[in-house]
Amino acid sequence: MANITKVWIGLLLFTLFAFLLGWLQIIGSFLVCVLLITTFFKGYLVIEYFMGLSEVRLKYRLIPTVWLGTILFFIAIAYY
Amino acid sequence: MNKEKFLYPPGDFSIWIIIYIELITFGLFFIGFAFSRKGQVEVFNASQLLLDQRFGLVNTILLITSSYFVVKAVTIIKTINTEESFQKASVYLLGAIGLGGVFLIIKIIEFSDKYSQGINLSTNSFFMFYFILTIFHFMHVVLGMIILYNLYLNTKVGLYTKKEHRGLETGASYWHMVDLLWIVLFPLVYIIR
Repeated sequence: MANITKVWIGLLLFTLFAFLLGWLQIIGSFLVCVLLITTFFKGYLVIEYFMGLSEVRLKYRLIPTVWLGTILFFIAIAYY
Repeated sequence: MNKEKFLYPPGDFSIWIIIYIELITFGLFFIGFAFSRKGQVEVFNASQLLLDQRFGLVNTILLITSSYFVVKAVTIIKTINTEESFQKASVYLLGAIGLGGVFLIIKIIEFSDKYSQGINLSTNSFFMFYFILTIFHFMHVVLGMIILYNLYLNTKVGLYTKKEHRGLETGASYWHMVDLLWIVLFPLVYIIR
């Protein structure tokens, strides 16, 4: 199976996980933290493999990754 | 293979300036949503229950899969250049456009449902952010689909090749940004409570 297909399946599984947390209404403080971390990984996978930034200079890879980390960090701050 | 090619992000560099600006703009809205929620947790949680998370799930799957199709199309063009490969890549792009179209239809159904319940921008802070964020994102999906349609037409006639595919990568990068924004929007608006 091609790497990109594995990334796609991973993204779908993370999405399903997030949905189940919300659907089953089991989301609490700890699981919000887990959800934000999985959201970071989802975004990271899109940035690295879909956008193709894994093959470019570090600074160009870092801009969207730092953006993602910063946004999720502030969401976590606001939540807790 | 030219090493210089890998020193910069795929596609035209100007699209990356646009992408960075879009990310900052949406980022400020995301942070605004999160901190507004902090002051009105009960209102936000009660309002969130009025959203159907299944719409959010399906739309996330649609955009992720659509992005995946675009990656497949770009990979084909960058690897093989035959009449068959041009057709195969264009079919992937058409699939991506189709999934984007279904996303828009689901959003329209969702918006109509909310308006029919008397919910609009002025209902409360949650729905103000909900409508601003999702309508703003909706407009980006529309623009992304127009771009993808142009990529589809060009790919079908073999305009992009193994050597010259900058235009294809430029449009693809924009579409992936639309996907990336939704990946943050989905848990923030539909799930976190």
